[in-house]
Amino acid sequence: MRTLVSRLAVALLGLTLVAALAEPVPAQKRGGTLTIVRPTDPVSLEPNLETTAPGAWVYFNMLEGLLTLDEKMQIKPVLATSYEVMSPTKVRFKLRPGVKFHDGTPFNAAAVKFTYDRALHGTPPARWASLAGSLAGAEAVDDLTVDILTREPYGPILRTLAMYCMGIVSPAAVQRLGADFSRAPVGTGPFKFVEWKTNTHVIIERHADYWGDKALVDRVIFKVVPEEGARMIALQTGDADMVLFPSPAQLPALRRDPKYTVHETTGIRVVFVGMHAGLPPLDDVRVRQALLHAVDRQAILDNIMEGSAGPARGVLAPGVFGYKDMQLDRVYPFDRARARALLGKAGFTPGPDGIMQKGGQRLSLSWIAARGRYPKDAEITEAVQAMFKDVGVEAKAQFLEWGTVFPQLRGNPLNHHLFTLGWVTSNADADYSLFALFHSKQVPPAGWNTSRYENPRLDTLVEQARRSLNQTEREKLYGEAQDILAKEMVWIPVYTTKEIIVTRAAVKGFGIHPVEYNLALWKTWLDK
Amino acid sequence: MLTFTLRRLLLAVPVLLGVVFVVMLTVDLLPGDAVTLMLGEHATKDAVAALREHLGLDKPFVVRYLDYVGHLLRGDLGRSMQQNRPVAAELADAWPATLQLTVAALVIAAAVGIAAGVVSAVWPNSLFDAVARLASLFGLSMPIFWTGLVLIVVFSLWLNWLPVGGAGSFAHLVLPAVTLALPSVAMVARMTRAAMLDVLREDYVRTARAKGVGEVWVLGKHALRNAFIPILTLLGLQSGQLMGGAVLTETVFSWPGLGRLMVKAIFARDYVLLQGAVLVFALAFVVVNLLVDLSYGALDPRIARQG
Repeated sequence: MRTLVSRLAVALLGLTLVAALAEPVPAQKRGGTLTIVRPTDPVSLEPNLETTAPGAWVYFNMLEGLLTLDEKMQIKPVLATSYEVMSPTKVRFKLRPGVKFHDGTPFNAAAVKFTYDRALHGTPPARWASLAGSLAGAEAVDDLTVDILTREPYGPILRTLAMYCMGIVSPAAVQRLGADFSRAPVGTGPFKFVEWKTNTHVIIERHADYWGDKALVDRVIFKVVPEEGARMIALQTGDADMVLFPSPAQLPALRRDPKYTVHETTGIRVVFVGMHAGLPPLDDVRVRQALLHAVDRQAILDNIMEGSAGPARGVLAPGVFGYKDMQLDRVYPFDRARARALLGKAGFTPGPDGIMQKGGQRLSLSWIAARGRYPKDAEITEAVQAMFKDVGVEAKAQFLEWGTVFPQLRGNPLNHHLFTLGWVTSNADADYSLFALFHSKQVPPAGWNTSRYENPRLDTLVEQARRSLNQTEREKLYGEAQDILAKEMVWIPVYTTKEIIVTRAAVKGFGIHPVEYNLALWKTWLDK
Repeated sequence: MLTFTLRRLLLAVPVLLGVVFVVMLTVDLLPGDAVTLMLGEHATKDAVAALREHLGLDKPFVVRYLDYVGHLLRGDLGRSMQQNRPVAAELADAWPATLQLTVAALVIAAAVGIAAGVVSAVWPNSLFDAVARLASLFGLSMPIFWTGLVLIVVFSLWLNWLPVGGAGSFAHLVLPAVTLALPSVAMVARMTRAAMLDVLREDYVRTARAKGVGEVWVLGKHALRNAFIPILTLLGLQSGQLMGGAVLTETVFSWPGLGRLMVKAIFARDYVLLQGAVLVFALAFVVVNLLVDLSYGALDPRIARQG
């Protein structure tokens, strides 16, 4: 355990050094107001009540956690300076000294304990409690040392603590404001809260006494503009400097226009066609593989997604810890002949109507999909449906509102062969996907193994990786798990989302993050 | 008059309770529930159950309805399920904006619509009449989100005279109020024209002209006042229409009103917040109708006498 501890400590120290030696920055200007337009008002400005983007975009700039993920998805210390694994269920963190909350009260171990107690044991618990997996709470060791406890050995603990919603709040402010804290949060971050006018704007300003590099702009105004067309016009007239959720149709023109900068990066959501491996004929791996060969994924990216999404190379997005390139394009190239051959091996022969059949039974699959839940979900479903037909597979798709699809997918049994779904690895750790989606005990309603996939070896691998705190070992285990999944494919991964934000060219220093919620604005400055 | 007003206000109580019932039932029957929408797809079963219990969603429908009505009678609108904020505070933030927008649109609709209708009626089949009729057909046919975006492109993007959206100053109000008013202007203009044409053919108008009353006085006092009852009825109905239309206008122009609050509540299946917003709408409708009925009496003493 000691060697592991020192290795982890050295790794974290190394990361700190890399951060300190970051590339030289061009001459930055201070001051000014950055105006951002986005479609919806926050639900709340504190993570306990909101884990979705409209609130997270704002509070991510005001509340800081012990750790964070940088733009390269590496763990970086924020309010912690180092950590040490004490036991499989206890990690000890040294806290940054001399940090004060926006209200002037000191940040310390008691505040960390207060934040986690309030979130995990409050009535009701925080909306992010389910995201935090086995996190059990925190105990103060001394003023600047805190133990983070988990209910069981929990490998993803570091990335859990680095999630955008794990910001530490000021206990004094919570006590003073009560329920109103969610509309005027107090943290330690580079920006502090100024004003929230419902459905109009939220204003935050530079925190002059910030412990680290101070923010460059004086103020940030988050305006609500629900209409996509109006958002784009606001950018053109200069009413806005930054647009979140820009109109995809306008991106090609904006990319060419020197007045604007299109920031884009691969996100962490994979949108896929799931297969029910427990329902014949999809219980036959050859049929599932045939369906993968039948789909021209590149054509979908080019013609339907039109540059607004990236390829899906596996079941995880590349930014996720434990990701392995499953080389799907090489292993399962678009090849109708191979698809038909595999179906032939599975005992299917072409029927009189062109649809494959076996023992008089037509190869007809039922499919449930939502419209508008994920970008172009219905369009890709229709495209794949047509591609299946070309190899003699009939798919009957049913498009329903997400509110109706959700309980079916989350329920048991699932009476459809196929489903269109997207999955975000929220804590950026493979555990969050490989365990919840493929472990045999995670069949709904317990988890999200909607494919009803069962493989004892995979169960062992993801369990081991979940319980280990050795990140190198975990990475290896997840690699093997993905090798198994690549052979047995219960998904047809279609695309990985892209995060896209457009700014006016005068906005400099902004770095887009693979995690949608991590909208870091403290390095952004205005060249005007 | 007073008993009439009181009776009408008392009748509003069962109307409002009925509205509450229908809204609650509708939300209950909608697929999807507030808790799974709030906690997201990753929520554990226990977390969902705990939050449902906390919000009282595990109780049967009738119990929840009676609970709500009980609180309502004590003047408590409850807390928004999604935001844990008092509904009263949410409404207080939003309703002045909607009131401002609706009143502005109503004023435009009345002023422009009546003026255009009168001119059209005085010179029927003139060039002005033809243009006004064509324009009102256009105003009626165009959807709000289209007219709204066109106005934004012209006045914000090309001319740069007015802000793209948002609220705060008179300049912010112009485009949304005009957009919202357009279909009503058209309807009021057509109604005024028809009513005035009818009245202008009446004997008393001819008599008034014959005894040498000035034309302005004839139109204003004799014709318009008598033509006003159908116009007023229409304006009353339109004010309800305008509040409903405000949902779209508020979205296009980022106007922070009740309409958007309602849309937000529906998407979140937040029935407590939705109830509050719908109650304000329903109450406004009741009050406007009452005012219209009362003003009939002021316009036409015969109606007042009948009580």
